[in-house]
Amino acid sequence: MRYEYTVETEDLAKYYYMGKYVVKALDGIDLKIRRGEYVSIMGPSGSGKTTLFNMIGGLDRPTRGKVYIDEVDISKLDAYELAWLRARKIGYIFQTFNLIPVLTALENVMLPMIFVGTPREQRIKKATELLTIVGLGDRLHHKPAELSGGQQQRVAIARALANDPAIVLADEPTGNLDLHTGLEIINLLRTLNKEKGVTIVTATHDLKMIDVSDRIIYLRDGKISRIETRAEVTVEL
Amino acid sequence: MTTKGTWEIGEIYFPFTEAFKISLENIKKRFVRAAITTAAVVLGIAFLNSLMFMSAITRIALPESQAQAQAYQLWLLFISLLVCAVGITNSMLIAVAERYKEIGTMKTLGALDRHILIMFLNESIIIGGLGGILGYIFGLIAAIVYGIATLGVGFGEIGLALSQPAELLPFLSTLPSAVSLFILSLIISIFLSMAATLYPAYYAAKLNPAEALRYEV
Repeated sequence: MRYEYTVETEDLAKYYYMGKYVVKALDGIDLKIRRGEYVSIMGPSGSGKTTLFNMIGGLDRPTRGKVYIDEVDISKLDAYELAWLRARKIGYIFQTFNLIPVLTALENVMLPMIFVGTPREQRIKKATELLTIVGLGDRLHHKPAELSGGQQQRVAIARALANDPAIVLADEPTGNLDLHTGLEIINLLRTLNKEKGVTIVTATHDLKMIDVSDRIIYLRDGKISRIETRAEVTVEL
Repeated sequence: MTTKGTWEIGEIYFPFTEAFKISLENIKKRFVRAAITTAAVVLGIAFLNSLMFMSAITRIALPESQAQAQAYQLWLLFISLLVCAVGITNSMLIAVAERYKEIGTMKTLGALDRHILIMFLNESIIIGGLGGILGYIFGLIAAIVYGIATLGVGFGEIGLALSQPAELLPFLSTLPSAVSLFILSLIISIFLSMAATLYPAYYAAKLNPAEALRYEV
């Protein structure tokens, strides 16, 4: 099945109420992301990047507006359907890697497949394949504490791809990595985007991300201030 | 399998063996704290067993004394089990706070609230079960040492005491006290441990993933 837009938001808003004050983390975001696109969401901290990430990922409910993933409005889902959405449709990558510390690299990548009921043999096969693709074929049985930051993020990327999600959401994926390792992770994401056709949405303020993105969405105070496509960016450079 | 628009929503699984394995690994990782929590259970249950066995041995050794556990001893027993429960709750609340991120991550991978609940309850069952068994053994040893050293009974009399039904136990009354007290120890320790973990586990299960992930330890 193919849908033109993997992610669509309509007038998306999230307000936080702090006593008398209303913090408008997101205020009317209209966004369309095509299948196979590599989109970066940029903006200073506090601009609403992570909130937008949480809304698209079904981790938090919007105050107003709608989010469609593969044409289904996820604000209408119940807890079970949301869990299924997170397991099947979305792969998450975090700044702090967030691997399960007591599980090995292989087990971490197998975990999302357990939730959707993939048989054990297939889980092992797929997880081994994915870890080999991200360059960790020789580190299958290492626990996160035995891996470097860059390696942990590679495991996290493999885990995000485990259930062939419609989108991979990455929140500051290079935020905890040095320049060189960060670049490697960005290139890996780009390669996966090109070769496997994975739709990637990153929230970042890492300027290295600009070179690989098809589109860059600039957020400021919870609103979209500017959208640049790849062509425009190249011209600017 | 239900459909929602263009989606075909399938089942979500988390087999018990996988949950149990993760729980066991988490206990191993926090071994010292798990050991201290278990030790609290062991002490409470050992106290219960030593009390019961000592009065059983005393009744055989000094039949005319009509020895029974005194009211204050039962009160002490109750207090010790209560302290033990508070200790477990405290320890589990710390375990939940330490694992906010992990809980949030599990939820992003598709875990349901009940899967998180099961993981924490598993840990409490392991701690409670182990504490119950060890407490039973220590309590029994303490009672035997007491019998031999203070009352001067022999192993024959101790064997007799252990094979008779236990007092104060209307259920399990047909079983020898050595067996019925073992069962009782396990029931109490696991129940206590689970009851003490229920609040922290429920709290963990209900965490909103976005909030759980934001939390910095």
